Amino acid sequence: MSARIKVTDLVKTYGNNEVLKGVDLNVNNNEVVVIIGPSGSGKSTLLRTLNKLEAPTSGSIVVDGVDIADKSVDINKVRENIGMVFQHFNLFNNLSVGDNITLAPLQLGKKDKSAAVQQAQKLLETVGLADKIDQPVNSLSGGQKQRVAIARALAMEPDIMLFDEPTSALDPEMVGDVLQVMKNLASQGMTMIVVTHEMGFAKEVADRVVFVDEGKVQEQGTPEQIFNQPKNARLRDFLNKVLNI
Amino acid sequence: MKKRLRQVFTWLMFLSVFVTCWNLTTTKTQAKTYQIGTDVTYPPFEFANDQNQYVGIDIDLLKAIAKEEGFQVHIKPVGFNAAVQSVQSGQLDGIIAGTTITKERQAKFDFGTPYFKTGVVMAVGKNSAITNLKQLKNKKVALKTGTAAASYANSIKDKYGFKTVTFDDSNSMYQDVKTGNSVACFEDQPVMQYAINQGMDLKIVTKAANTGWYGFGVKKGTNPELIQKFNAGFRKIKQNGTYNKIINKYLGTKQNPAVKGKTFTIGTDVTFPPFEFADKQNKYVGIDIELMQSIAKDQGFKVKIKPLGFNASVQGLQSGQIEGMIAGTSITKDRQKVLDFSEPYFTSGVVMATSDKGDVHNLSQLHGKKVAIKTGTAGAQYANSIKKKYGFKTVTFDDSNNMYQDVLTGNSVACFEDQPVMRYAIKKGTNLKIVTKPALKAPYGFAVKKGENKALLSAFNNGLKDVKANGTYDDIKAKYLGTKKDNNAAVSSNDQDDRSFMGLLKQNKDALLSGFGQTMWLTLVAIFFATIFGILVGLMGVVPIKFCNWLSSTLIYVFRGMPLLVLALFIYTGIPSLTGQKIPAFIAGIITLTCNEGAYIAAFVKGGIEAVDSGQMEAARSLGLPFGKAMRKVILPQGIRIMIPSFINQFIITLKDTSILSIIGILELTQTGKIIIARNLEGFKVWTIIALIYLIVITLLTWLSNWVQRRIKG
Repeated sequence: MSARIKVTDLVKTYGNNEVLKGVDLNVNNNEVVVIIGPSGSGKSTLLRTLNKLEAPTSGSIVVDGVDIADKSVDINKVRENIGMVFQHFNLFNNLSVGDNITLAPLQLGKKDKSAAVQQAQKLLETVGLADKIDQPVNSLSGGQKQRVAIARALAMEPDIMLFDEPTSALDPEMVGDVLQVMKNLASQGMTMIVVTHEMGFAKEVADRVVFVDEGKVQEQGTPEQIFNQPKNARLRDFLNKVLNI
Repeated sequence: MKKRLRQVFTWLMFLSVFVTCWNLTTTKTQAKTYQIGTDVTYPPFEFANDQNQYVGIDIDLLKAIAKEEGFQVHIKPVGFNAAVQSVQSGQLDGIIAGTTITKERQAKFDFGTPYFKTGVVMAVGKNSAITNLKQLKNKKVALKTGTAAASYANSIKDKYGFKTVTFDDSNSMYQDVKTGNSVACFEDQPVMQYAINQGMDLKIVTKAANTGWYGFGVKKGTNPELIQKFNAGFRKIKQNGTYNKIINKYLGTKQNPAVKGKTFTIGTDVTFPPFEFADKQNKYVGIDIELMQSIAKDQGFKVKIKPLGFNASVQGLQSGQIEGMIAGTSITKDRQKVLDFSEPYFTSGVVMATSDKGDVHNLSQLHGKKVAIKTGTAGAQYANSIKKKYGFKTVTFDDSNNMYQDVLTGNSVACFEDQPVMRYAIKKGTNLKIVTKPALKAPYGFAVKKGENKALLSAFNNGLKDVKANGTYDDIKAKYLGTKKDNNAAVSSNDQDDRSFMGLLKQNKDALLSGFGQTMWLTLVAIFFATIFGILVGLMGVVPIKFCNWLSSTLIYVFRGMPLLVLALFIYTGIPSLTGQKIPAFIAGIITLTCNEGAYIAAFVKGGIEAVDSGQMEAARSLGLPFGKAMRKVILPQGIRIMIPSFINQFIITLKDTSILSIIGILELTQTGKIIIARNLEGFKVWTIIALIYLIVITLLTWLSNWVQRRIKG
């Protein structure tokens, strides 16, 4: 079982602000990795460098043996295999629910029109929105939007999924539906990297929990290790804050 | 002698009776044949050519007239004196022999319309430095016995202190000048010019003096129908160009093959009556225009006259957009540094005019009085320079009409104005009179860019000589500057014009429509290209390539930062100076609008794209869509929605901005308005009409835009 993603000494700076200060991280096949950490710790930036939405300043990110920091790599090909779900859903406002899902497969020639629509319908069923295919995206609630966003990412049939705080912008009663969809994905063996504040999800679903603070991986381990025997002082401090509300 | 004459007479009678009878028996409608006497040899008016046929201006003219009027002539080269006597004795019906109309002759002859203006000129060797009479002091001058030129020379020989040598024929006289024995000779102008055209190495250096008119004569009180026919036929051949053809055949300069058949673009002022202005049919007319056209016709080239405005014409010349310019341009030293001028074709100057009932007739009477002037004119400059000396006050006006009114109402006692402008105004019915001689004399010249278009310039000079010789020049001048009495139909007064809104609309309907059409066409074409340019530059501003971003910002900065007026002038006159390639005004206008409006479009295209949430792009890219596809499928559809109001707004601005292109002479709506107003001075009404046209179109556009926006939102 080799590493699907291998991050080595990753540094990311914005001007004088060093956000990532040398991160090392491996993600194995079918593994669910949950990244936790306080706001501004660099965990979202770390996630966004994995499909090069943020270009690394230095260090290497090898995905399936290809270093995506290398400029000669066709990042579009790499991204086809890495789905991403955003905090604010980022559904295409000019398109219907169905068209949101079919856009990439059609544009990239992965499927013909009828196959793409059929797939969109099936994906919408799996996220519990079978009747929404012709709706404009603005008619959906936040939770529904996020589930459509997951379906859209899945339409490219990736085997790695990145989640960037997928539930942070949702009303509390919507969170459950989205987490359920994610749990289902995890149980199907999807390789997932999830940045979240949902500690319950981390405990229940994660194979490994990574604690990031001040631009570095401070500690990582199984949920059991992280939540019950935290070694790092910052981690203990962080868990105190988020769990004892 | 008397006996012989009677014999000839009897024979003639017999012959004519015979001919008449014979005619009656053959064709009853055969026209009458008139017997006309002429000189034996007086080139270019009558002389025998190589085939011993009698030809010349007189012969050809009379034959052409006879043909027009359907009568026959039999021309007899009996010699000048014999012809005079034969007409008086009734043996001949008329005389055409380069006969100058004089009072003495009018006592014995009835003359037809004067058909040729002549005068005495001085000619010198081709390389001679002599240019005026003063230089003749103590020199020898050649003359031909018995000519008007000889009597003129003798009348001035004491004054200028020259000696004369007399010859019996022209050729010996010319030879004497050529060999240098004499420094100059005096000769009738057409005779001299013809000789030069035939290859004589002489040149004419003075203006025609002792000018007179040649006329066709019949014995006083006889043959009135022949004079009538002559006059009627003469009018016809003048109108149909036969007259000019005949004159040019003998006196015309050779057409230069370098200009023949070519078309030259000539710039002129928008409105400078009587030199150039649009008439009621909005056709450009005026002294400059007609002179240019007749010279072009004479020299066998074509002209395209463009009323660009004075300054734009000067720039057009510099940049090579136009080949020549005729715009009442004074020949000044400063201008000669950059332009080459023709011989002066008109001399202007400042005159003082008073009410035609007024009693002010010289400058010293102005003391303590008020004088009206117009801003920025040579007249104002002149008045200001002498106001201290003569102790008058000035009142300044912005246009000529108000200035004239001030004098007519008696507020001011006089006004100062360019002489031709004043004369034209008086001709058109302004009740003023000119009381002084022109001051600050300014010769007007046709101009080309310095060192270029030499063939055109020399063709202009040759043509000017020709039109002066054949009388066209005088006709043109008389048409615009003649006194009220000889006001002819060509320049009618404005009295019967309907000056109401509807009247103005009706009169100028065609001009306004074509101006409006040009405005809409400019707008549509400009919007098309500006939209393409704007979207390209706008997109360049958002692609993830640093150089493109920089280029986009720079283009927007430059074209948005430059006033449209400056940009238009720069493209129209600057680019040709750099590349040497002409740009038609319309193309220059489109480029100008494309750059300027395109820059604004680029700015809001860029802004519209940037206004789309950055998450949209990230989501699209995260799915593996390349930048271009993400832009087309996701960002642009959303950005365009944001841009639509700006687009509509920009289209309206473009429509209005086309008016600025009037500066480079495009005949769009605003320029059309300017020209109409220059003619009828109805500024308020015409601008109201123009403003309403713009408002109506913009209202329609706004409705359209609202409709489009509703549809897009819906």
